[in-house]
Amino acid sequence: MITVVSLKDALLESAREVFETMVFTALEPVGEGTTDPGASPGVADAAHDLDKPETCLLGSITFKGQLEGCLGVCCGEPCARTIASNMLGLVSDELGENDVGDAMGEIANMVMGAIKARIQDQVGTIEVSIPSVVQGRQLRNSLGEGADLVKVRVSVEEQYQLEFSLLYREGNRT
Amino acid sequence: MGKSLMIVDDSATMRKIIMRTVRMSGLEFERTEEAGSGVEALEKLKAGAVDVILCDINMPEMNGTELVKQARQMPSCAGTKIVMVSTESAQDLINQVLADGADGYITKPFTPEKFQEKLTPLLN
Repeated sequence: MITVVSLKDALLESAREVFETMVFTALEPVGEGTTDPGASPGVADAAHDLDKPETCLLGSITFKGQLEGCLGVCCGEPCARTIASNMLGLVSDELGENDVGDAMGEIANMVMGAIKARIQDQVGTIEVSIPSVVQGRQLRNSLGEGADLVKVRVSVEEQYQLEFSLLYREGNRT
Repeated sequence: MGKSLMIVDDSATMRKIIMRTVRMSGLEFERTEEAGSGVEALEKLKAGAVDVILCDINMPEMNGTELVKQARQMPSCAGTKIVMVSTESAQDLINQVLADGADGYITKPFTPEKFQEKLTPLLN
């Protein structure tokens, strides 16, 4: 059985790998809802952004198998634009209409793929869906009893906050 | 004569990212084209083969493994090198797609160095 702690570690390591390789930036974990007055104003503002669902983009991807659930990646639009710019090597004004949403979907896809690689020895084969992106924030629990939620909030380029949510339960129930 | 490349991925953004990474790797292609699905890729291959295909696996309409199987049945693609680019890292799947006719496998996330390492031997 996989533990919340090991999934949280796998999630953070996977997110760091994807961001360092594809977004060319490092991630630093922060406490949920961090609005520490000592923190830089940008980070505090970004945490506020995450609390306003109407300005957030949520990339999500579902998975099924011995472990089933959904991974969500959520941040404010300025953060999402920065991620897309870095991934594509373009300045913000050059981004295409779908680039920002697609980039969030690809982040969800790659982080889930990296998590899968880290836990497949423990949980066996996991089948992953195609990612989707919506405007909003809440990843609601539709898995019922026995579901757990792992959340990791990180700072991006010391300016923004981004939150990963992994909602899961042991799958293949009869 | 310069080499040609086709990138097959259902995400237009990922196609741009792969193209950028190929450029960063230092590999040069005289002609590049893109396809958003396995079906579109096959249509383009019927019109003219390419030297290298970089292909996603999880795509709607026709996935990458099916594209490999069908491309391998096309005489014009006999010399085409097909490299899968995917988040899927299960060894069984990698072995299967290589057995189906793919020439290489790159897992996402990837680096320019990884593209150079995997593609250079196939281009020579």
